[in-house]
Amino acid sequence: MPSRSTDRGPEPGLTGFGRYAGPATLILASLADGAKHGYALTKDIESFSGVRLAPGTLYEALARLQAQGLIEPVESHDRRRPYRLTAVGAQALRAHLDVQRQVADVGLRRLASGWGNA
Amino acid sequence: MNAEAEAEAARLLRWYPKTWRTRYGEEFAELLVADIIERPRSKSRTADVIRGGIMARLAAAGLGGGTLEASAQGPASLTALGCCAAVFVSLGAAMWSQLTVGWQWSAPDNAATTVAMVVMSAAILILGVLALAAAVPVLWTAGWRLATGRPRGLLGPAALVLACAVIMFVGARHFGNGWPGTGGHRPGLVPGGIAAFSWASTLSVSSYWAHPGALAGFPAAELAWMAASPLALAGLAGGAAALVRRAELPARVLDFETRIGTAACAAMAVFLGGCCAWLVNREPGNLFHPGAIDAAGAAVMTIALLAARHAARAARLALNRPR
Repeated sequence: MPSRSTDRGPEPGLTGFGRYAGPATLILASLADGAKHGYALTKDIESFSGVRLAPGTLYEALARLQAQGLIEPVESHDRRRPYRLTAVGAQALRAHLDVQRQVADVGLRRLASGWGNA
Repeated sequence: MNAEAEAEAARLLRWYPKTWRTRYGEEFAELLVADIIERPRSKSRTADVIRGGIMARLAAAGLGGGTLEASAQGPASLTALGCCAAVFVSLGAAMWSQLTVGWQWSAPDNAATTVAMVVMSAAILILGVLALAAAVPVLWTAGWRLATGRPRGLLGPAALVLACAVIMFVGARHFGNGWPGTGGHRPGLVPGGIAAFSWASTLSVSSYWAHPGALAGFPAAELAWMAASPLALAGLAGGAAALVRRAELPARVLDFETRIGTAACAAMAVFLGGCCAWLVNREPGNLFHPGAIDAAGAAVMTIALLAARHAARAARLALNRPR
């Protein structure tokens, strides 16, 4: 089980993101198949998760992810700057999703044994 | 519609600090315009942008971690910590020096007030030592940078710090001669000179501001000092903050300053504990009755301490991030 984040800084995964872990996960997952700018991120995230990230929340999470080196901006002449996943970001996303999958597996297994298909 | 959306986006963007707008402004405005066209009357978007802007301003001020580059986050958080500590110590010293006046005349006759004052005195002594320890490496680095001519922009803050420090020292020494405690008949809790200096340097923290009639009876020079000394203190804190931000402090100095800041937070908490013990004491003794200004001061000091702890944590996190 992963330990809580501490003052020693973010651990592998997104445990150091606190309440921004949700938006950060969605953004990293969206960028996993290629670079996207803000509007494209919003639309893609809405399509695969049903969550519409508000602009302020999206850019707060983008700034944190960039400051932690998990994503980076791509050179662009357009006003809409795209972002892409870094190798560290891919590793963090994988670690975070592995934990989430464990949680989902345990939850589903217990639901199946305790509640059947109800 | 586009023009309206662009105007609305520009209005919303003003919630963010300039540095943030320089970095993200154009792309964020593009996203806002698209969002406004899709959802023209969304109140939740407005609330979200306002919240994000406030968070960005707090982060730029060093009070929030995670969104600045590690190289900028450490100095920003340390300056925020220093400013919070300056507010805390100004109010705390004002309160403490008033109590030492009472002690000069008559020692408290109950254990709770005695313990509270001893605790506050010990904490303020530790804070003084920590402030000196924090100032030395910053002044050394800034002095070295000034001597070697890089980076630019240090001369102004250094001159401001020096000028304000001289004003505070000379002014507090001068007005300290009028310290009421000097009329006392017994040794105080701390040397009279220190208590008098503390009293004079925080003379502006006074409930007399709420009583203009009584204030009008003060000598003009004292009134001028009460108005000028907070400006000098603000200049001292502001100049020191600019020095820390611009001096490109080495990582080991940032680490040292962060440790000092964390220790200062602990000392401030101890001081506040002593202060609260005095405030809630129902029989503090004749010369030690707290007033509304002391309760208000303690409330502001609590906020300053919480903000300082937040800034210290952000500084620690920045130190552990890759640069």
